[in-house]
Amino acid sequence: MRRFKLKYLFIFLAFAAFTACTAGAKNSVNTITTKGHPALDAQEKLTPCATCHKDVTPDIYKEWYDSVHGIANVKCFQCHGTYEDFATVPKESSCATCHNEQFKKKPKNKACWSCHPAHHFYIHK
Amino acid sequence: MGLSRREFLKRTAALTAASYVGINLPFDNKGTSHAADADSWHKGTCRLCGAGCRLELGVKNGKAVALRGIADSRTNKGYLCMKGMLFYKLMGNNHPDRLKKPLYRARKDQPFKEISWDEALDIAAKEFAKAVKKYGNNSVAYYGSGQALTEETYLFQKVMRGGLRTNNVEGNPRLCMASAVGGYLTSFGADEPIGSYTNFERAHCFFIIGSNTAEAHPVLFRRIMRRKLDNKDTVKVINADPRVSPTSRIADLHLQFEPGTDLALLNAMAHVIVFEKLYDESFLRDYAVFRMGKDKKQVSFEKYKEFIKDYTPEKAASICKGNITPEKIRQAAYWFAKSEGTMSIWTMGINQRKRGVWANNLIHNLHILTGQLCKPGADSFSLTGQPNACGGVREGGGLCHILPAHRLVKKDKLRHEVERLWGIPEGRIPPKPGYHTIAMFEAVNQGKIKAIWINCTSPAQSLPNCDKYRKGMRRDDVFLVVTDIFPTKTTELANLVLPTAFHFEKTGVYGCTERRSQLTVKAVDAPGEAKPEVWIVREWALRLAKELNDPVIKKCVEPFIGKEPDYELPKAIWDEYSQKLTKGRDNDLSGATYEVLKQLPDGVQWPAPTKEWALKGGTDIKFVRGLDPLADKHAKDQKPFQFYGPAHPDRKLWVWLRPQKGPEEMPDSEYPFYLSTGRVIDHWHTSSMTGRIPELMRANPYAYVEINPKDAEKLGIKPGDMVEVVSRRGRNVLPAKVYVGPCEGMVFVYWHDQAEDRMINRVTKDAFDPGSKEPEFKICACRIRKVSGPKPLKPFLVELKT
Repeated sequence: MRRFKLKYLFIFLAFAAFTACTAGAKNSVNTITTKGHPALDAQEKLTPCATCHKDVTPDIYKEWYDSVHGIANVKCFQCHGTYEDFATVPKESSCATCHNEQFKKKPKNKACWSCHPAHHFYIHK
Repeated sequence: MGLSRREFLKRTAALTAASYVGINLPFDNKGTSHAADADSWHKGTCRLCGAGCRLELGVKNGKAVALRGIADSRTNKGYLCMKGMLFYKLMGNNHPDRLKKPLYRARKDQPFKEISWDEALDIAAKEFAKAVKKYGNNSVAYYGSGQALTEETYLFQKVMRGGLRTNNVEGNPRLCMASAVGGYLTSFGADEPIGSYTNFERAHCFFIIGSNTAEAHPVLFRRIMRRKLDNKDTVKVINADPRVSPTSRIADLHLQFEPGTDLALLNAMAHVIVFEKLYDESFLRDYAVFRMGKDKKQVSFEKYKEFIKDYTPEKAASICKGNITPEKIRQAAYWFAKSEGTMSIWTMGINQRKRGVWANNLIHNLHILTGQLCKPGADSFSLTGQPNACGGVREGGGLCHILPAHRLVKKDKLRHEVERLWGIPEGRIPPKPGYHTIAMFEAVNQGKIKAIWINCTSPAQSLPNCDKYRKGMRRDDVFLVVTDIFPTKTTELANLVLPTAFHFEKTGVYGCTERRSQLTVKAVDAPGEAKPEVWIVREWALRLAKELNDPVIKKCVEPFIGKEPDYELPKAIWDEYSQKLTKGRDNDLSGATYEVLKQLPDGVQWPAPTKEWALKGGTDIKFVRGLDPLADKHAKDQKPFQFYGPAHPDRKLWVWLRPQKGPEEMPDSEYPFYLSTGRVIDHWHTSSMTGRIPELMRANPYAYVEINPKDAEKLGIKPGDMVEVVSRRGRNVLPAKVYVGPCEGMVFVYWHDQAEDRMINRVTKDAFDPGSKEPEFKICACRIRKVSGPKPLKPFLVELKT
């Protein structure tokens, strides 16, 4: 669990750094700050997640790409939402969209990804 | 780790837009699934492909808030793709663009004005009646959809045929599965697949040809992927396609052939099977005959051998080019023939061909030769693109040559049977089939059709060579009614736009790829004054009866008068169709009443002649005694398989002698590239629905032209450059995706985009298969050139101006 938190802290810092380094050059209008994601303007939001994340978070991209979610084309927004409701850590209910039975049966005190690591999605850790 | 602002902008230059003119994305987006918030869940079927995934709609305070999969459904086992999990955002008042009032204009250059339903139905009835009186019954037409509910298609065609006395009844399934129908009828004697999705978990070899299953049928692909990943060494996947696609990721062998050479490839695989004695001699002896030519002349196995002798793997490799070698063809043939169960899967790459029926026949040939049928994991399985192309249109009588329950219009006995069942005078349905789709829109161009009703589809964008046919639809002497939920390229050309209820806002049945009928019951209210189509047709028919002073038109809807439209009306229509029309036919659904369908998590597979059989789920595999009640009923001998299909009186499977034939239009010095088109996972057809879901629009906001890196280098094209794609018919300018996808000499364009510059059916060709009349969307000749570097682009969806 601790490793999990550190991982997301790391991602958040990376995003924060990305936002900071681009802020100076940014002069576009309609910039919307989105909680949990660097600010992008409306036009930039028409960019598929993977276009940037291949480079911004290459390890996560590769983990996803090689996972069953990657092979089956389950895309970032299906778990993380889009900019208006973006969640770095998805709501568990988003897993239940496809894995409802497993969701009902899992231990209440454990998140899905404590056994099925995020972006790898092994059957069990 | 980071990406500089400059790099970011460079990367996204071609992807971003200066404004959102023309679209209305709800940026107060209600967000992803509010699953936890729902206070009730309602079972139904997915709306956005032919897989038939079962799902539940979460509703809170009367509003759709989430969708989730149903785990005990045999179609999807709980899984949904992104389209399936998000289309609740289009329901009820969730989307501001929904059509909510009838709209009318007398001339097509006028703005629309809102009118009442009474006025709208009167106008529709008067215009159709006027055309019939002045120009005859064949001056009117209906063009429907594989997304309409079975009850809707059935009622529309009943009123057109029995009421208006015309077989001008067509639908967009002509564009996607007509060649598969032709293939099944001519090879197996009966339409629709023999087996079911259950074979995904039992197959040992998958032969996927002309299908990007991973994007077009993602949840079915997941099952194939799981089967492969769980049995990496023992399950083989062969992917045959001119384009490397996401489906190729799980392939052991990718056969990349030049477009239009597939018949040579398939014949060469048959060559290996025959001459290396991989065929199943006893299966052939018991169940197969060989035939050739238009007169279906029966020939000997020796004659077939003589024919196939010429298709050596060496010769086929020289025809197919791409990465094809004789060794790869032999390998594919061995895996196909020797596996414990081989399942072929295909869609539009095979069907949308000038020789689509032949291509279907040659896949079936491989299965008949090797006996890879009627046993676990073995099937020749055409995937259908739309949720109700099979159930509504193929089975419900939604094409110009077929009546409900697989009856041919031209057969007097079957036509009169339908007239009797409907209680209308004998001879009321004309004996001649109506216009097929391309002929229908050609007739619109020529002014022969004066009034046409287009339901739940957008031919102005989805027809090949669409500019040619938009000219006809623009004519002021052609009265055009469109029923839909959002503005489309076709509503732009209409006189009368009628707002309809969307999925889960009305009740009805979808029949998916595997002969499975599933019920969706209304769970939320439609927005504004939007109405279910069955109500619209009934009310229109009653007015038509008065306008034409014809009591038989009224007779067509008489059993349904007074029924409330949300449940009782579709139920009454389904009862008539399933109990009367399908009873005793090969798609017998008389056991599958609404009550039965509601009891099952995933519906019923026909044949289901009794409630008892239907409650067991129906028939998983056709033609096998003990597993298919009709195989037992129609058995003529003790053999385990009984091929009782209505089209083969000899009760045999037919192996066809079909030669290699290329496309209608080959590349030449002026147009040196093959152009092919297809879907992307995030969008459905013309994107009038998926384009309005922010997650899906953002994931694929524009159509691209995919270009092989070697071709791109020769032409100086870099990723994101704007590229002109020109054919003899039209022109697009699209951003480039330089990608080892299409083979050299071929480009590939996504077809969902509504922007005029990126609407690829302005470029495609309207040649069609002489048997199935399905157009050859998948192949034509084009030229390409870079017109500029990356440019800002606008996503585009039609708005309707009032």
